[in-house]
Amino acid sequence: MTVLPTISASAIHVAPVSFVDRTLANGLRAILVPDRRVPSVAINVAYRVGGKDDPPGRSGFAHLFEHLMFKGTSRTAPETIDRLTEDVGGYNNAFTSEDITNYYEVVPSNHLERLLWAEADRLASLTVNEANFVTEREVVIGEYDQRILAEPYGMLDELVNREAFRVHPYRRGVIGSPEELNAAALADVVAFHATYYRPDNAILVVAGDLDPDETLRWVERYFGAIATPSTPIPRVTVVEPPQTEERLYTHHGPNVPLPAAEEAYHIPASSHPDAAPLDVLETLLGAGRSSRLYQSLIYDKQLATSAWASADLREQPGLFGVRVTCARGVALGDARAAIAADLDRVRSEPPSDAELARVQTQIASALVRSRQTASGIALALVHATTERGDPGLMNSDLDRYLAVTGDDVVRVAKTYLRAENRTTIEYLPQ
Amino acid sequence: MTPEHAAVVLPVAGPPRDAVLPAPVECILDNGLRVVAFAQRNLPLIAAQLIVRCGGAAEREDEAGLSALVAALLTQGTTQRGATDLAAAVDALGARLDAGSGYDASVVSVTATTPAFPHAFALLDEVVRRPAFAPREVERVRAKSISDLALTYANPSAVARLVANRVAYGAAPYGHPLAGTATTLAALGRDRVAWFHERFYRPDDAVLVIGGDIEPDDAFALVERELGGWRAEATGMPERPTATPPSPRAQIVVVDKPDAGRTALVTGRVTIERRSPDYHAGVVATAVLSGYSGRLNQEIRVKRGLSYGAGAALAARRLSGLFSTSTLIDHARAVEATEVTLDTLRSLVDAPPSDEDLVKRKATVTGSFFRAIETIDGIAGALSDHGVYDVPLDDLETFARRIEAVDAADVRRFAAREIVPDEFVVLVGDASRFAAELARTHDVRVIPSAALDLSSPTLD
Repeated sequence: MTVLPTISASAIHVAPVSFVDRTLANGLRAILVPDRRVPSVAINVAYRVGGKDDPPGRSGFAHLFEHLMFKGTSRTAPETIDRLTEDVGGYNNAFTSEDITNYYEVVPSNHLERLLWAEADRLASLTVNEANFVTEREVVIGEYDQRILAEPYGMLDELVNREAFRVHPYRRGVIGSPEELNAAALADVVAFHATYYRPDNAILVVAGDLDPDETLRWVERYFGAIATPSTPIPRVTVVEPPQTEERLYTHHGPNVPLPAAEEAYHIPASSHPDAAPLDVLETLLGAGRSSRLYQSLIYDKQLATSAWASADLREQPGLFGVRVTCARGVALGDARAAIAADLDRVRSEPPSDAELARVQTQIASALVRSRQTASGIALALVHATTERGDPGLMNSDLDRYLAVTGDDVVRVAKTYLRAENRTTIEYLPQ
Repeated sequence: MTPEHAAVVLPVAGPPRDAVLPAPVECILDNGLRVVAFAQRNLPLIAAQLIVRCGGAAEREDEAGLSALVAALLTQGTTQRGATDLAAAVDALGARLDAGSGYDASVVSVTATTPAFPHAFALLDEVVRRPAFAPREVERVRAKSISDLALTYANPSAVARLVANRVAYGAAPYGHPLAGTATTLAALGRDRVAWFHERFYRPDDAVLVIGGDIEPDDAFALVERELGGWRAEATGMPERPTATPPSPRAQIVVVDKPDAGRTALVTGRVTIERRSPDYHAGVVATAVLSGYSGRLNQEIRVKRGLSYGAGAALAARRLSGLFSTSTLIDHARAVEATEVTLDTLRSLVDAPPSDEDLVKRKATVTGSFFRAIETIDGIAGALSDHGVYDVPLDDLETFARRIEAVDAADVRRFAAREIVPDEFVVLVGDASRFAAELARTHDVRVIPSAALDLSSPTLD
């Protein structure tokens, strides 16, 4: 047999992304990445407001608000953003996470100025009427029904957040509840826009076929005149107290084909030095067919139809999740016992040099793949800026992962993957 | 002019810049393997796809799932290394090595960074030519496939798509589920897996697409070195399946699944093949209906709030393709959603798009085409149509122009002939909430979820 080498991650050349980083007088931060290979541009406008910032009694509001940002302004009709993107061969969408709301478009580059105009316009002057508000709330409740109620295991993410966090607003998740969405009123929309949609709470990232000087002039022209309120932006300061004993919650749902579970462990924020070793641990446990969980649960013991790990690093302390869906006829207890054995092993012995090198090569290769599109680069800049405060950190990510040692992996596994730091959701048929 | 004033009026778009398309080059090796190469050298990444021109359509009805099982087993061990060693070798290269099957082709693909690619490509050669099909692996993959079916059957949208294929094609190719059923998978063993591989995986009926950070000449040399010694079996070329599907018939098939959270609604009709000269008109007609601003989403989501989304698709096939629409709705509003969907399809004939609208919908087609070819996997995927459906190699270059050439009369004609007449409807959900009402005006057949048998061309 041909013996194949491990390609060292350091042999993989990832050219740094060069960008222009400018903060306007009103506090809007603009990051521009010229890449003139294809004649299109990706525009992202991220606001530092997400599910954790929902007003009290209004869970799901930041996400509902995201939908309303497409409903027109004093100068434009509803769906204007769709007209400016879809109709010229581009697309647009938005997502709301626990921490941010990100609006994005990809358009032919000769349309960049029009999109900058439209993004500035909806930041400056959102107008929503009662009819739009009610229809869009229906759509969001439809999204809840589709993603949470109709999907098998749709409640699992919601339950993980609700049970793992006792006081931090991460416990409410992002989609919220239909009851609290129905309690929202038009006045809440106006207040929310005034509170969070302001230049000093926004990050604009444009990547692709652009001229930086010309683009900066447009940014200044359309965003520069928007006033910043003098009031401070409210921030979540609640700190989740350390968990002191293990939590187990059993959920019986309709339409659950096979038993499943998630074990969630509290971990620090994305900006913490342990974030890189936790990402390495995620890959070691769950990425690719050579990963520990795949090899033990799916391949060797055939206990599971899927098994993976996820370092859900957020702006504030998040969760490390290990999720399993049983194979047909397998009891959940047996699958969980196998996970426990794998986690024991990562806590007690460092991965071999070869295994660590393999994991680092997997991470480096995934990084190269994510750089193929302007939208991928733009999103990486949004995350580096909102979660870690510095867009330039995306260029040192590979070095950060290469610096992780086997002992670091054992240390973070021991520190965080402890029973008393664990919340388990068992998801079973009715 | 103050900045405040400047911002009042939407600026006009500047002149567009032309896209530069990759120029694919083709050569044929002595063993009959066709190789298509392209260069795209902005990142240290190379991708290759081997397209074997036989897939699920070549299976017997009672062996549904065989081509998928063969593809899944390719990456589960070779005569040189077992499944675990193979997985470790792939991950140590930071590569992706995947195999899967569609109705018309089986595809093995590999992507790796430039320094790792020659080694990763050697692994592609190894899994394609020397798979072990170890009995233990056959048994394991088959058991996992049966477990995975439980997840599929819990999803009303997935069940609706599978039922739609049966309603459209019956016992003809493309009717049976590609993943098989518990019954058909139980009957498959190593012998049949090895037979399928030996019969259909052959260089003279395959196309290899390779490109990225490599010049075509270097790519041809690499392919020759690895796959040049691959020889076809002495048996003749396999025959292509040709059976024709049943004539379209207006009918509603309901699968009663009371525990479903929402009702999945799929409508459809058998239509043209990928090589048809009407294909581009079909793509544009589908785009008028689909996408956020397409007519279906406008009627179902934006105007009525019936669903989070609704869309249409035109499935390309070597033989008759499938036009379909899909959405997911509240059980109580299933009748309304069905009528709105059927009315919206008819609107293509009664109220075809204006020239102005058509320009916009065509832009969504060409725009998504250009975005798809932003990645090397996307370019390889677009070029694979050449391998699977025998469309000309310059299809990549002419696609946008041919879309531009479609006019409103073409859309109307396509809809009147291929979309509207005798379309079927499939609903999977709580039938007690809608089936009786639908039966007042339509031909409705209700199948209890427990009685649904996807192994059977008649579904029970």
